[in-house]
Amino acid sequence: MTVQECYDAIGGDYDEIMSRLRSEERVKKFAGMFLKEECYNTLVEKLKEQNQEEAFRAAHTLKGVCQNMSFTTLFRSSYEITEALREKDMDKANSLLGQVTEDYEKTIKGVKMLLE
Amino acid sequence: MAKNTILIVDDAELNREMIKFIFEEQYNVLEAEDGQQAIDLISERGEELCLIFLDLLMPVKSGLDVLHFMNLNNYIKYIPVIMITGESTDESDEKAYEYGASDIIYKPFAPNVVMRRAKNIMELFEHRIDIEQELDERTRELRDSRRKLEQSNDFLVNALSSVVEFRSLESGEHIHRVKYFTKLFLKYLREFYPKYNITKESAALIVNASALHDLGKIAIPDSILLKPARLTDEEFEEMKKHTVYGCELLEKFKQDDNEFYHYCYDICRYHHERYDGRGYPDGLKGDEIPIWAQVVSIVDVYDALVSERVYKSPYDVNEAARMIRDGECGIFSPEMLDCFELAKVELFAAAENKFSYADSIEA
Repeated sequence: MTVQECYDAIGGDYDEIMSRLRSEERVKKFAGMFLKEECYNTLVEKLKEQNQEEAFRAAHTLKGVCQNMSFTTLFRSSYEITEALREKDMDKANSLLGQVTEDYEKTIKGVKMLLE
Repeated sequence: MAKNTILIVDDAELNREMIKFIFEEQYNVLEAEDGQQAIDLISERGEELCLIFLDLLMPVKSGLDVLHFMNLNNYIKYIPVIMITGESTDESDEKAYEYGASDIIYKPFAPNVVMRRAKNIMELFEHRIDIEQELDERTRELRDSRRKLEQSNDFLVNALSSVVEFRSLESGEHIHRVKYFTKLFLKYLREFYPKYNITKESAALIVNASALHDLGKIAIPDSILLKPARLTDEEFEEMKKHTVYGCELLEKFKQDDNEFYHYCYDICRYHHERYDGRGYPDGLKGDEIPIWAQVVSIVDVYDALVSERVYKSPYDVNEAARMIRDGECGIFSPEMLDCFELAKVELFAAAENKFSYADSIEA
């Protein structure tokens, strides 16, 4: 799988990431680091614990990382949940978690295929 | 130490790497995962840091905590901080600037733009710090040379004024007492009569100038200056001219734009004028007599009264004070008499303790 194919599959912005990082090797290196980021797991865990503050920070980090990686689709859903948590709306956040999880799993799958 | 280290503070490793790869070829890069780590690194290695990239939202301590720490410990003046943020809200932007951040960069950022902005900011800081250091150095040099000048000036004025005393076979203490008394008078004049508008700097000049009040006596013949008895009327008329002779000497080195010159001139010329207009050489009256000359006038009279002369023994300080108050030794303005009362305890103490050379230097 090429970087272009991976970004198409996961709903990312290939042109944007290439304009910033300039080389596919570098994109792959950062994609590898994305797999190690714990913020999604932290988000799920803190939502379960009803810890709004920590959940907000995890969502915020996930959103920021997606911004840097030009993972547009996952950025959008993580943005939504971050804003819900900023407003301290736990019900809304819980209802948005499904979409975040779906986008996250699709992204992880695509990145893993890219790195294989 | 060369400042060549950039600190990147962000809780996500990926975000740190995004900045690190831009700079790692040209700079040392340190990383911190949260605000506390950042604070520790700044404390340990602040000297090396030329720039900090700072995330706002982090566990343990936030970006604002880091800025707060940097403000408290003065780092904010020497290390530029660029905030990194995902979204721009006016509130957080304003807070970041208010806390002293130099710039804000929004995610996602283009590496070449980040590099350019970072370099601009580092240059600006370096330039500012250079200028401040240079200014500090210049200020120190100026202060040093000013102090040396003041010392030389004091030395020369003292040397010059003691020439007259040396010739009249006096001990040299009269001039030191006059300086000390003048200083006392000016202290009270400044405190209670602000209308005269005498600054601290001017007061110091006037004290120095008071040493030269009898400069013109250098031109008085020995037969009069050293006469061990009361002077005849004719001799006294010649003696009175010391006020004008002093000015003639000074005028040879006239400095019209120099405050010190004018104090010297006025004090030489007018320290025998009287408030009622019956003094000499010009018969000035009331406030026509410059206030600094009025001060030296009363001080000179007091010292003459309490000192021993070839033709008289010293008066008791209380008697001297009474004579001045009752107008037996000249007429002085109400302000001068008031200052005399205010300074009396100190004036008495100085006269009774046989005011010494060392004291006057200290004073």
